[in-house]
Amino acid sequence: MLEAISQAGLAFLGLQTLAFLFFGVVVGLVFGVIPGLGGTTALAILLPLTFGMDVTDAFAMCGGIMGAVAMGGSISAILLNAPGTAPSAATCLDGYPLARQGRAAEAIGAVAAASPLGGLFGMLTLLLVFPLARDIVLLFGPPEFFLLAVFGLVSIAVADAANLLRGLTVAGIGLMLSFVGYDAVNGGIRFTLGSDYLWDGVPLVPALVGLFGMAEMIALSVQGGSVAADVRTARLDGVLTGIRATLAHWRVVIRGSIVGTVIGAVPGVGGTVATFIAYSTARNADPDPDSFGTGRIEGVIAPEASNNAKDSGALLPTLAFGIPGSAEMAVFLGILVLHGMQPGPAMFVEHQAEVYGLVLALTAAAVLASVVGIMCVRWLAWITRVPGAILAPTVIAVSLVGTFAIETRPGDVVLAAVFGVLGYLMLRFGYPRLPLVIALVLGETAERGFHQSMIIGRGDWSVFVGSPTAIVLVLLIVLSLTWSIVPWRRRTARTGPEASQ
Amino acid sequence: MTIVRTSLRKLLQLLTVLSVGMSAAAAQYPERDIEIVVPFNAGGGFDSYVRALAPYLERHLPGDVRVIPRNVAGAGGRRGTTEVYRARPDGYTIGAFNLPGVLIPQLQQQRVGYDLSEITWLATLSADPYVLAVESASPVQSVSAFAERDGPILYGATGPGSTAYVVTTIVNARLGTPYEIVTGYTGSSDYLVGLLRGDVDAVLVNLAAARPYIDAGDIRALAAFGAPDVTTASAATDALAAPELAALRLVRMIGAPPNLPDDVRTTLERALLAALADPGFADWLASTGNAVSPAGALETRDTVNAMSNFYTTFASLLN
Repeated sequence: MLEAISQAGLAFLGLQTLAFLFFGVVVGLVFGVIPGLGGTTALAILLPLTFGMDVTDAFAMCGGIMGAVAMGGSISAILLNAPGTAPSAATCLDGYPLARQGRAAEAIGAVAAASPLGGLFGMLTLLLVFPLARDIVLLFGPPEFFLLAVFGLVSIAVADAANLLRGLTVAGIGLMLSFVGYDAVNGGIRFTLGSDYLWDGVPLVPALVGLFGMAEMIALSVQGGSVAADVRTARLDGVLTGIRATLAHWRVVIRGSIVGTVIGAVPGVGGTVATFIAYSTARNADPDPDSFGTGRIEGVIAPEASNNAKDSGALLPTLAFGIPGSAEMAVFLGILVLHGMQPGPAMFVEHQAEVYGLVLALTAAAVLASVVGIMCVRWLAWITRVPGAILAPTVIAVSLVGTFAIETRPGDVVLAAVFGVLGYLMLRFGYPRLPLVIALVLGETAERGFHQSMIIGRGDWSVFVGSPTAIVLVLLIVLSLTWSIVPWRRRTARTGPEASQ
Repeated sequence: MTIVRTSLRKLLQLLTVLSVGMSAAAAQYPERDIEIVVPFNAGGGFDSYVRALAPYLERHLPGDVRVIPRNVAGAGGRRGTTEVYRARPDGYTIGAFNLPGVLIPQLQQQRVGYDLSEITWLATLSADPYVLAVESASPVQSVSAFAERDGPILYGATGPGSTAYVVTTIVNARLGTPYEIVTGYTGSSDYLVGLLRGDVDAVLVNLAAARPYIDAGDIRALAAFGAPDVTTASAATDALAAPELAALRLVRMIGAPPNLPDDVRTTLERALLAALADPGFADWLASTGNAVSPAGALETRDTVNAMSNFYTTFASLLN
């Protein structure tokens, strides 16, 4: 194995390969920053380009894109509260408050440090478990998918104990939205308003663009001013502080990375949920969970570490079975096949060198993207000082064009606009938006997992505790419910009498 | 350089959507780029197939034009198919079709926006037989042994109405043993993994998808329909493989909008058949385990009609 890794490493030292890696990183950053675009779009556009390239170069470029997109997406999440890519949505929670306090550079510094560390962790884990890839993927069947989705939904419920009812309301709406479209279990078409557009359900990316990007820009125009409330105190020199904070919170980094690697490996659940669970894990482990959401640096570090770790995890099902762990991986799968590689049982044996090369490219890209990000932070943080009157129309126009460019469907633009208004109303009346996104992502997995489990288990509920993985997941669900609800009760009991006095 | 040009063009295309060039009818077809609509997302098996084929198609077409695959995914392939059906029949928009995937919804009298009997068929790329497979460790050694089992046999499939579902239903109608279908899998790789994991007892899956697992000894093919020469590990094709079930194949075709002029059709048909026979494309097929079974325009049309008749006889099982 070591020989294969060093071979792959040597292959990457070629000047041309490095150039492709760098090109991928730049493309990844740009596509990551623009809300609506993202790694999937970047890969799809560059897919024909990989045709004439040799495998190492193609993987270097793809690895560059996938490794760098997370950084780009998080930069817009922090600066604009508009996640450039779906998995960066969790970074908004504390990243944007930091930017509003004029600490955008610090948050970006934390991203720049946490991303490559997470990526590195994911890579090391992946290299260790590669021989077991099959067994790991086979651990997750329909009952486990259902439980995992429930775990994700539970972590929404407990993420913000003070807003529990509102969070649950929004998550309920998100679940209802996730049931729109073709029902893969019973075959019916549901809630499509008679249009073919909604046949495949409410598309995630346009919904996200509206809910976050557009909503935020509407709010900014209504309020006036710029993102950073006080222009004079917007510090541009906090990068080192952010990096130091990340190193000091190494436990948060490791926890986030573990969550990212594990959840990333589960197809259909994917990155958005991984970063969110990483966030709520950090929050639950903190002695002062209520301060999350007001600009805690740990709230940026945890999702960022998992954001890059998840790519390594997502490679497991993609390579071992040809089941993409994420949308990006689906396109990447096509690039593999174009280069004459058939993902499947033999992949790890026949194309070991290429696989290791890709993993190295992913990690190198995360490091490189951080360096580029840090170099640009001075100009990037400046965005928070641009007056809303200029920023809002620009961001809205760019993200709508980005939304349209993905599938060239006019319906996507309309949907983004509708969700933009919805997002603004939620913002205005203090309803959290992330539960909606998580529920939208997980609703289908939960529903499908449940139906399939019931058929497989022939109607017997014990199917949900029928495997060690399932039992662990059930325990995790119970644990995270008690963990956060109990202290919440205690606190209300403590503050209750005082409030009544 | 040409690669860079293609990509730039693709990018421009994405951003500016469609260039509605309306040149005069093809005196010297083709005089500009040809678009192949792929009704699936970039990166899928069919998408890769078309993308791998496109450069060879360019090579064998007269003139110096590009062949650009464009993904129009959605609604189980209906969106892209509808787009081809409605496109101008000038030979600059052609489409990739998978049957019976887009045929079944039409036969189910769903509102699909196209009529396959009107499509100008150009060529068949591949016809992939279905195999009935079980996990290697399964005690079931033959199709007839299914009958001796207690309780229904669980099959994995995508949603009701999907090809996998309909094929499973038809085969089981012949088998006559009690069965149940676990729906909701996202695709053939997904229910193959479900089979490995033990979610389900058996699957009906196209051979190209099953082959890597058969070769690795993970699953066993009990029967292969319409492919007596399939050399799978233990392909005991028994009495069940009734001749009419040979129509259970996953066929990938290239077609054009209705009323395509004959000369354009002939040009495209020739180029497609030459591309499919190109040694370079054969290398790609071999390295990825993809199959090819080329057929010309008339034969493709006959295949579509035969499939249509076959599934119509099972109309009561389609819904």
